[in-house]
Amino acid sequence: MTEPALPREMDFEADQQPGQLSPTVLGDPSLIVEDLHVTYRVYGGRRRSPGAGRSTWLGRMLNKPADHVGAVTEIPAVRGVSFMARHGESIGVVGRNGSGKSTLLRAIAGLIPATRGTVYVSGEPSLLGVNAVLMSELTGERNIMIGGLALGLTPQQVRERFDEIVDFAGIGDFVYLPMKAYSSGMGARLRFAISSAATPDVLMIDEALATGDAEFRAKSKARIDRIRENAGTIFLVSHSLATVESMCSRALWIDEGLLEMDGPAGEVCQAYREAVSAPKRVASTTKA
Amino acid sequence: MTNRSGTIDSMQDQTTSTNGIGSTAEVAARYGLHRVGTRPPLREYLRQLWSRRQFISVLATSKAYARNQNNYLGQLWSVLNPLILAGVYFLVFGLLLNTRGNIDNFVGFLTIGVFMFGFTASSLTAGAKSITGNLSLVRALHFPRAVLPVSIALTELATLLPALVVLCAIVVISGETPTWSWLLFPVAVLLQYAFNTGCVFVAARLVVASRDLLNVIPMVIRLARYISGVFFPIAHYVGDNPAGALLEYQPIAVYLELARQCLLAELPLDPVLWAWGTGWAVLFLIVGFLVFWQAEERYGRD
Repeated sequence: MTEPALPREMDFEADQQPGQLSPTVLGDPSLIVEDLHVTYRVYGGRRRSPGAGRSTWLGRMLNKPADHVGAVTEIPAVRGVSFMARHGESIGVVGRNGSGKSTLLRAIAGLIPATRGTVYVSGEPSLLGVNAVLMSELTGERNIMIGGLALGLTPQQVRERFDEIVDFAGIGDFVYLPMKAYSSGMGARLRFAISSAATPDVLMIDEALATGDAEFRAKSKARIDRIRENAGTIFLVSHSLATVESMCSRALWIDEGLLEMDGPAGEVCQAYREAVSAPKRVASTTKA
Repeated sequence: MTNRSGTIDSMQDQTTSTNGIGSTAEVAARYGLHRVGTRPPLREYLRQLWSRRQFISVLATSKAYARNQNNYLGQLWSVLNPLILAGVYFLVFGLLLNTRGNIDNFVGFLTIGVFMFGFTASSLTAGAKSITGNLSLVRALHFPRAVLPVSIALTELATLLPALVVLCAIVVISGETPTWSWLLFPVAVLLQYAFNTGCVFVAARLVVASRDLLNVIPMVIRLARYISGVFFPIAHYVGDNPAGALLEYQPIAVYLELARQCLLAELPLDPVLWAWGTGWAVLFLIVGFLVFWQAEERYGRD
């Protein structure tokens, strides 16, 4: 049933074997990440040690003020990652939830400032995500214009691509209604359609492929392939190892903000798979 | 195969193995790579901002439109709101407290004060949150961050325009006849808009530096409302007190007075005050922009 001739039936994640990946000639460096640290500040809460709830009443009294005033927790999301990427590489990023994958990509794209370390990149990196912000109270039409302009297109270019975007998103006349009236799938499709309307040098895709039905996933894979041919370097964050293995030549495994492993996609995914399935390992790394 | 190090060593192995010697920065320079997340030079930043001018205006007008979309009367509220507010102020300060001083057309005086002060107040309120309230946008897309405060100030200007039509109508009904000085009114509005934009730049940066300031801004606005002569003529109450000059020439009081000089026949145009208005606008705009630009690479961190 995974016959490539049946695009509607095919599972996006299993349609391409690792061996089928088109061979790419590695070019010059397109991205250098050196000792990157990113620390989040979270307001309004404080991380407590597990024993804190059982402390004496005196301890609670003394701790109390600090829990409500100046409650800022610093979370080191990325704790020193270094690697280099070349033109023509497609790199998968794997890791558990909360391991810092998305933060790493955003820092590389220059959207979140690094606390320490530097990132060098060629051209303007672009982050393709389903969470690109649109204004839910406005119509899809208006949002296409805002999103396109935010990506750096001219109003003329946005108007030219308007029909294509609406077609791709498959939302028909809903485009003239406020986005709050959309189903979550429709919203995600429109966001993806908008954010992939411009083609960047370094492209980062953050879980964008997980949304939508089978038909939409097939369409988005075609579009990503097209972008991939033009873009120098692709980053793909995904929880689907099959997707990473089928689309990427190399993979980074991020764990607790550190680069656990860097190598060919097949090897890294295999090692990651083993680590996740090993119960002892899981217990040691999943802390609340 | 497990290399948890993720250190510079492993990466420099890679770079040195391909390029011989050199630090990362040199390697980056050799291949034409540029550093991510650095603040562009001022001229470049202005150019980027200018190239996004259409983004700014679309964002501003969309937000202005979206504001009154959630109820049946819709856009009518952009006119009704200031109208009702002017009525409330007239009830309290015109009829109950009577703070009219030496002003003949107090309805016109008060309405201009309420509308024009509201312009600065709402710009400041909305603009202070222009970065912290749009963090998801900041973290999703690349653009000069000054786009956000600029577009929010512009949103307030767009919201003000329908209200200005109402304002002129009220002033005429209150007994004024349009004169040549009315033509200067748009200039007064633009000067105030420039001042607002400068304030928004500063407020946005301060709130990013410390969110607690968000709670202080309403108090600042309240204070400004009482000392700027929104509902009483400053000169009449202050008299010859040396502190009076301070009250009369502070920016917000200046802009309220400029608008009144345009629209009310009893207040003649005063060139000195117009010079003050221009000076404040230029000063706030330039200083505000520089202050905002200085932290450009830090917006987006939480």
